[in-house]
Amino acid sequence: MSSLGRIAESVDHYNAHVAAEVARARTDKKFAAELRARWAKVQASVETTKSPTGTALPRLALPQTDEPGAIAEYLLGQGLPGEFPYANAAYREMYLDKGSSGEEPMRLFAGLGLAEDTNERFHYLSKNQKSLRLSTAFDGPTLYGMDSDAEGVLGKVGEGGVAIDTVEDMERLFAGFDLTRKDASVSMTMNAPAPVILAMFIAAAKRRFGADCVPNLRGTIQADMLKEVQAQNEVIFPIDASLRFLCDMIEWCVPNMPRWYPVSISGYHIAEAGATPVQQAAFTLSNGFTYAELLKARGCDVNEFGPRFSFFLDCGLDVEYLVLGRVCRSIWAIGMKEVFGANAKAQALKLHTQTSGRSLIAAEFQNNLTRTAVELMLAYMNYSNSCHSNSADEPFTTPTEKYALLASHGQSIIIEESGLFKHTMNLFGGAPGLLILERQVEKAILDVFREMDTLGGVLAAQEQRYQRSKIQEAGHNYEKQIYAHERPIIGLNKYISTEPMPSVPLARTSPKKQRLQVTRLKAFKKKNAAKAPEALQRLENVARHGGNVFDELVNTVEVCSLGQITGCLSHVVGKFRPMV
Amino acid sequence: MAAAKTSRASFATPLRILTAVPVCDGHDSAVTTINIELARHGLEVIYLGYHQAASAIVRAAIQEDANVVGISSYNGGHIVFFKEVVDQLKKSGNGDIPVFGGGGGTITHGDERLMKRQGTDRIFFAGTPLDDIMNLVKRDYARDAKPNAKFKGDRALARALTIAEENAMTVGGDYSKTSRPKAAPTVQKTGKAPGFVLGVAGPGGAGKSTLIDELTSRFLRSNPTGRIAILANDPSHPDTGGAILGDRVSAIYAQDDRVFFRSLATRGNLTGLSASAPAAIDILKKSGEFDLILVESVGVGQESDPFGIFGKAKKLVDASLFVLAPYYGGLIQLQKIALLNGADLVALNKCDHPMAHTARAEIQARLDQNGKDQMLYPTTAAKHFDPGVDHLFAAIATLAAKNS
Repeated sequence: MSSLGRIAESVDHYNAHVAAEVARARTDKKFAAELRARWAKVQASVETTKSPTGTALPRLALPQTDEPGAIAEYLLGQGLPGEFPYANAAYREMYLDKGSSGEEPMRLFAGLGLAEDTNERFHYLSKNQKSLRLSTAFDGPTLYGMDSDAEGVLGKVGEGGVAIDTVEDMERLFAGFDLTRKDASVSMTMNAPAPVILAMFIAAAKRRFGADCVPNLRGTIQADMLKEVQAQNEVIFPIDASLRFLCDMIEWCVPNMPRWYPVSISGYHIAEAGATPVQQAAFTLSNGFTYAELLKARGCDVNEFGPRFSFFLDCGLDVEYLVLGRVCRSIWAIGMKEVFGANAKAQALKLHTQTSGRSLIAAEFQNNLTRTAVELMLAYMNYSNSCHSNSADEPFTTPTEKYALLASHGQSIIIEESGLFKHTMNLFGGAPGLLILERQVEKAILDVFREMDTLGGVLAAQEQRYQRSKIQEAGHNYEKQIYAHERPIIGLNKYISTEPMPSVPLARTSPKKQRLQVTRLKAFKKKNAAKAPEALQRLENVARHGGNVFDELVNTVEVCSLGQITGCLSHVVGKFRPMV
Repeated sequence: MAAAKTSRASFATPLRILTAVPVCDGHDSAVTTINIELARHGLEVIYLGYHQAASAIVRAAIQEDANVVGISSYNGGHIVFFKEVVDQLKKSGNGDIPVFGGGGGTITHGDERLMKRQGTDRIFFAGTPLDDIMNLVKRDYARDAKPNAKFKGDRALARALTIAEENAMTVGGDYSKTSRPKAAPTVQKTGKAPGFVLGVAGPGGAGKSTLIDELTSRFLRSNPTGRIAILANDPSHPDTGGAILGDRVSAIYAQDDRVFFRSLATRGNLTGLSASAPAAIDILKKSGEFDLILVESVGVGQESDPFGIFGKAKKLVDASLFVLAPYYGGLIQLQKIALLNGADLVALNKCDHPMAHTARAEIQARLDQNGKDQMLYPTTAAKHFDPGVDHLFAAIATLAAKNS
């Protein structure tokens, strides 16, 4: 049995354990008394507040019961927010308006044009934020580890994200931001070349803030290669080598960057590529467990790397999204505890949620504001630790300023303006419908685990292209449902407007800017022409002889471009062979 | 098979479409759906994959003699990219191959106008019903593949293969009876050796395509100027007549002008190869272009003989390679595989599999029984620079040298 089978078993065992404890609470007087005493303590610890219209409210909504069975069911089955199995939340308090303390969950993804353009957008988006939370989208060539001067990519430079070729671009990208601030955090949606890009980020930060700034740097890099192979298709090196470079980076980050999340295990792209919510959750969690296995096999301590994992889910309009985050947290916690022997910090799943890009359409695109608002509501009901809300104009352009700002205001309206989250934590948890849905979704996820277990686990299933087939099949079904009018999409197949599409401004990168990026890159290469070959040779030696590649990359990026580095590594480990 | 027995008058040659996603773009969800639908509508879909350079798309369109190229673009830069594909097709004398595309909402109506002026034939927008897309593609991109004296180089060769495919269909799939309704143009270079033809067969999932691609990389490295041809046979759907020919996706070393890669759908022929394969091999040999010609069969079973190894007629290939994976189902199953008696070379692929050790001993014993000079090569084609593949390639090179 692969660890997936054992994890599915452990969740079943845990559920049986909860049921047994509920029964015991109802028969064992001593146990009942203990539970009541604990419950009284919990209830007493809850502060109260008042709504602006004068209604008194608790800061935490608890089931109104003193029946020991119900208490046991809540405390063991769901757990208080911040307690095992974390169904309610990873932390005890989230989203509450408590003055200046606490960071807002908003994290807006931005990237366009050249580094200075994205930098300008970052300044624009963060001007009203208390804390500094930046999230970077990279352009196609960067995501594929190619230089902007590579043959045939010029038209893609700065499209859909920012073009980064060198450490100098990275310096421009974050100019004017104090990245060493305690409440600063930088997220980067970067996978196959993640080790190179993170090394550039570190090098750029050192240039600005001094060599000792590294432990203070805080943020997340996606670096989830399994989901790339399964869904997103941005892979450069063969799978083994990709996983090795990733693990090298995680191993380096754990001691050297204590505030950094070196992997964000992502279901977003799996769902965008077509997966159902259940498949998204099943593949994402199982990928996470696979990383834990790989690192354990390298001799890393689960209690050290476990807390540094973060997760990233898509949130669409399908009903399962009402509970997806809750269910994922409890499966992750139980699996990490029971199968990997992880402690509390490594059990709590930290979740970033992005509203669904696929659910947005170009026709009557202002409707996308409503779609995104509903999805955001679901994301907050699942106590996502951070959220990105998509811009309504995304189906046809990199978000323009206007719609990016509306997307960010959507979050503020739900969290800050409405009274749904700021007074009381967990107003919505525990509704009968949610509990029914949670059980269904959990069971369906475990069924996928068991199926992959029979195939030999995640990596073996992946080799048989199980995940890809399932995702493609689900994507195909989704399209067929739309065309068959079984899945209504307003403006597309229902209540279709005959109005022509309004002309809207597009954020495109001009050819002049694209050429400027190439000019800069050539200047960088020329300047470092004497030093680059030696740096690449050192990197090649480390890669060839099994050393920690990340350790060396931190030096290589000082004088080499992204494309030079991926080319060098490809020379050693080969190229990824795509799967259909 | 219905398709093969029907005369050309009532059964049109399947339309061959090349689909791809542009360079630095991994969004393959839409193109995957379109591929499935196109095949369901009876088209032969040659899928090149995502993250494909304009030059790779053009090369594939030429070698496959595609009726049309469909590009699905979702992360911007489409104006430049589509123009590049169209321009390269024109510049290489293949401007007759139209290019259409789609990109959900990312390609605007304004973009469409500009792209059409620059030579893109059509853009499909989000919300276009799949059936409408299929009908338009079938209506506008069907063509009669005639010999064309203007075609040069690989396109001339590719067109000759297309005609061979059509000829094979007119005579119920039996090439030997072909009346050559349209003579396939010969693309012969005088004085050049015909090249060594290696047939590659094996059960589905054994890793034939990957192994062939790894052999291609060995060829390109060991032979700095020569060319290699690959004829990749894949089954047509028995009911729809369509096919998804996806071998190019994982053929990373085929992206080189020294590699001529052609996908052939079997179109109802059940021997393991397209009925046109004998003619196709002949055309490739006569061209004098290639030092090595690899012919990949569809996944074959116990009694198959796609290359005519056991028959009395002339063999289709100079030598054959049988590829299998360690999980063939035990000793008794192994005994039943006829090709193990006839193949010159046997590759036990996926040797990183736990059953490989046992499999190797069993297969060796099986070959020893034959008492022929057959060689077994353990390979792990999925591994970069696998020494087993190096050994296999050396053996092929030795056979080729003996042959010439």
